[in-house]
Amino acid sequence: MSSYEFIPHVADVRLKIKAKEINNLFTAALIGMSNLLKSDGCSNFDNLENSKIVKDTIEISSIDLTTLLIDFLSEVLTHSHVNKSIYCKVKFDKLTDNFLVATIWGRKIDSFDEDIKAVTYHEADISKDNQGDLSTIIIFDI
Amino acid sequence: MLTKKSLKKISEVLWEIPKNYRKDMIVPARIFASDEMLDDVFKDRSLQQLVNVATLKGIQEAAYVMPDVHEGYGFPIGGVAAIKHPDGVISPGGIGYDINCGVRLLKSNLKIDQIKNQLESLAREIFHQVPSGVGRSGDLKLTIHELNSVLKNGAKWMLKNDYATESDIENIESNGCLENADPSVVSDHAKKRGNDQLGTLGAGNHFVEVDYVEEIFDEKIAETFGLYKNQVTVLIHTGSRGFGHQVATDYLKLMMQVMPDYDIQIPDKELACVPFNSKEGQKYFNAMACAANFAWANRQLITYHIRNAFKKEIGSSNGKLELLYDVAHNMAKIETHQIDGKKEKVIIHRKGATRAFPPNHPEIPKKYQSVGQPVLIPGTMGTASFVLAGTQEAMDVSFGSTCHGAGRTMSRSSAKKEIHGKKLKEKLEEEGIIIRAGSVSGLAEEAPLAYKDIDNVVDVVARAGIAKKVARLRPCIVIKG
Repeated sequence: MSSYEFIPHVADVRLKIKAKEINNLFTAALIGMSNLLKSDGCSNFDNLENSKIVKDTIEISSIDLTTLLIDFLSEVLTHSHVNKSIYCKVKFDKLTDNFLVATIWGRKIDSFDEDIKAVTYHEADISKDNQGDLSTIIIFDI
Repeated sequence: MLTKKSLKKISEVLWEIPKNYRKDMIVPARIFASDEMLDDVFKDRSLQQLVNVATLKGIQEAAYVMPDVHEGYGFPIGGVAAIKHPDGVISPGGIGYDINCGVRLLKSNLKIDQIKNQLESLAREIFHQVPSGVGRSGDLKLTIHELNSVLKNGAKWMLKNDYATESDIENIESNGCLENADPSVVSDHAKKRGNDQLGTLGAGNHFVEVDYVEEIFDEKIAETFGLYKNQVTVLIHTGSRGFGHQVATDYLKLMMQVMPDYDIQIPDKELACVPFNSKEGQKYFNAMACAANFAWANRQLITYHIRNAFKKEIGSSNGKLELLYDVAHNMAKIETHQIDGKKEKVIIHRKGATRAFPPNHPEIPKKYQSVGQPVLIPGTMGTASFVLAGTQEAMDVSFGSTCHGAGRTMSRSSAKKEIHGKKLKEKLEEEGIIIRAGSVSGLAEEAPLAYKDIDNVVDVVARAGIAKKVARLRPCIVIKG
């Protein structure tokens, strides 16, 4: 089970994500960012015709898990901007504390609702709470 | 914990956090602000960020922040730091993701009364000519070879391709081109993000505004700048678009990976940095220059579009627009400044701060040498923008720097809750300001209520002596993405 919510920030957008497992945390972040790029852009994604789905692969190495998450979102953001798409589904072929290989699926869009300049490292820090849930804040520079 | 009591008052508008506030501070941190503004400054973490900046290796004299300060990433917005050249650090967080976000002011030979009846059609034509909005592409589609040439030559590429005049190039900071730009150190990702975005405004707080000169504060400087009361002017505020954002992202990631090789530790990941004279430092500086050049080319192409709009609606002889000046407010530059009585070369980081060079400075155009560099400070929709001039005092107390705008005080989500975009548009139109915006909710996010009072911000820099007020501009058309 994973979740995301947007919380206030003085100039930009702050996203809080939560999940039991690392891969679900990364997925929640992906969907949160994509729904920011295009409002409700990922709703009904599973019902989309195959012909409308776009697919890309990503491989990243980073210094630690939190940085890996931000770098993953940055890479997806680049794909979003270059391909004029949003990405709503991810499968990790490999996901460690500092390396990942993944396939992402998404759909083309006519326009973005929000201009995310960058995914920042500011306030990002994956931690585990008493219930065993992983969570972090992610701030998007818009 | 930082409180007002932690600050030492240096003057009515200058405060200091002493370097013994935290043991890793190399220099003190200084804040340009009035007493009244300080209470707002403590509402976010901008001063903690400024203290962090004061720990950067090679930082000289003090870490500064301007009165339009608010929380940023790494550096606070409004931050200025001079780092020892060549072995001090360079930090992308001290420039920002929108490299060379900046402003230019065009001046016409018209008075506002002459075009009152054409404002609606002019607004429509500018909105049509200048692509704006999130992810919107420009009309100019470049090959990779052409894009590399833009990255290398900046506004000079626009001159070569008939989108600019010689006079335009003379009136851009650094003549619109940083010579150290090297397209080979820019990623394919960045080039792909940028190759269809030249000549586009973007969204958020970027805009084109048609203004008129509401008030002149300094007749002599205004005359040298070619400004007079009721004159029609055009302000353009935008930057390096997705290209610059990607360059910053790429190099922040790289620097975090290699920092341990240089034995650098930082209190905030967004302050990731490397020695300026390292292989990575030089690559970033040269990639940053590419982004700066892209931004100058961008603002130049937008100028071309606006000139076409004026020609079409006002006519060829009356619709001429001349560039007063173009300034960057997110940049790193190598400059020489007086430090402890000696001339020292430093890497000046300005993030949400504007260069403000004084009279007789060799880097400003000859025609402005007698009065100082034009400084352009955009306000918010419906309020005012300012033209100022650089001063010797700025060189003496703020490394030749001043503020860049109004500074946000309210989150975008709060602004959208408090202000209805459509009602705001109607209210501004009642005040005689024509709005053309791609997004009504985006309009609410950029409401004047969400920002500091620009008059107060400019008042502080004038009282501090780090820029001199020349003219106040009032908007009559606002174009936003």
